[in-house]
Amino acid sequence: MATDDPGNRRPSPLSLSSSFRQGLMSDQISEEQEAESQSHVVAVSLVDSTPLLWRMQDLRAVRGQGLVGALVGSLARVPRQNGRMGRPLQLLQEEQRLLGEQGAIAMATRKQVSEERRSLVFESFDSYRSYEEQTVLALEDKKSSLLRAMTTPTPHTESKHVALRGHLETLDHHFTFPRSGLAVQLSTARAGLTYCPEDRVYLQADRSPRGPVSPQSEAKYQVFRDLRGRGFYLTSAGKFGGDFLVYPGDPLRFHSHFIAICLSLDESMCLLDVLTVARLGSNVKKTVLLCSATPEGGVVYTSLQWSGMV
Amino acid sequence: IDRCTPKKQPTNWIQQHPVYQGMKSLEVGDSAQIHAAFLVYMDLSEARHWNEVSYMKSPELEVVLLEGREIEGGPVQTVLPLPVHQNVNHRSLRRVLDRGFPLLLCAVGSDSTLVYQRMTDGLVTPDPPVGPFQDVDRRHQRKRRQQD
Repeated sequence: MATDDPGNRRPSPLSLSSSFRQGLMSDQISEEQEAESQSHVVAVSLVDSTPLLWRMQDLRAVRGQGLVGALVGSLARVPRQNGRMGRPLQLLQEEQRLLGEQGAIAMATRKQVSEERRSLVFESFDSYRSYEEQTVLALEDKKSSLLRAMTTPTPHTESKHVALRGHLETLDHHFTFPRSGLAVQLSTARAGLTYCPEDRVYLQADRSPRGPVSPQSEAKYQVFRDLRGRGFYLTSAGKFGGDFLVYPGDPLRFHSHFIAICLSLDESMCLLDVLTVARLGSNVKKTVLLCSATPEGGVVYTSLQWSGMV
Repeated sequence: IDRCTPKKQPTNWIQQHPVYQGMKSLEVGDSAQIHAAFLVYMDLSEARHWNEVSYMKSPELEVVLLEGREIEGGPVQTVLPLPVHQNVNHRSLRRVLDRGFPLLLCAVGSDSTLVYQRMTDGLVTPDPPVGPFQDVDRRHQRKRRQQD
């Protein structure tokens, strides 16, 4: 019904509203805010095994610790696009594990959340404008849009105007507002996601709810933790055929420098695959990083670059 | 009756080359890798005119390694020649890197194509994109919008 102003219809990929961006950029967070975000416990919602963050303060805290995640929600005002996404923020398995090890994660048990959420959904359903009220508003909206269509001066619309006028006059009689058009407001802030400090202790996740850790995911986690500890920002690298993209700073400000590929020291790779990944890296001006965790607990890195020898 | 003289076998110059025979004598046990090493040796010394190209056996891995200087008086580099269908693991690459010289990995195709890749320890920042950079002007932005 209501249309966005046409200037906003094509957002460029990096443009975010300035307040949102200011809230997220870590180098603008003051020291005390940084300390606060360190001790902040984020409330994680689990959908199967996918960790999601819903609250703005959680997203800010997590970004302040250098964890990027990925926004996966649609925006209510611009739904049919995925250039700009909204909350919730989906965390990588490695990010969730890192937060878990710092004791900075709280997860409600599934039973608890569903009971609360169900009652809250029904409550908010009733409290929002009822079906009758919305029908009246929809009818008014339709009338004004028909009037607007009739009064805009365009050529060759005499017959169209007549048809519209007829339609407008009979609108009161045959207008129906379908149930599927009903707008329902869900208050996500109240839907079982607020954890005050007392609840935090009770809900603290001391163990990740994932299954047994495979050696590959263990290796990936060691690399993630090491690189994060060195101050790099990491996101997933599915688009580049690697495990992580490594940024020298916040991804909003930099292009990534490395495509990190995690493997064990003894894992055998075909030389053709090494060439494939090296070629891709040189095409996109990134260094391919072969990363392996050592038994001593460190990580060794080998940079793979084009030699320049044609 | 004259016996037809047996047709002269075409000489396999590679197998008779002293460098090839020297590599064979290292007894690494992998003839495909020796062949690859020989091709890289010839490329470096004859085609790219590297200096002081030499070959040796890698103590830990069963391969022939090459060493050489790209320019006279320049630093020594290690070259690891491998047939392209062979497998490698990270540990063996680290062992060759431990020699302390800059490492070039050379993949040798079945048609003798050679591809050289630089391998370095640590995180090497890539070269930044080359300028001059031009902001896309409004005309191009508008054009792109209309196309979408």
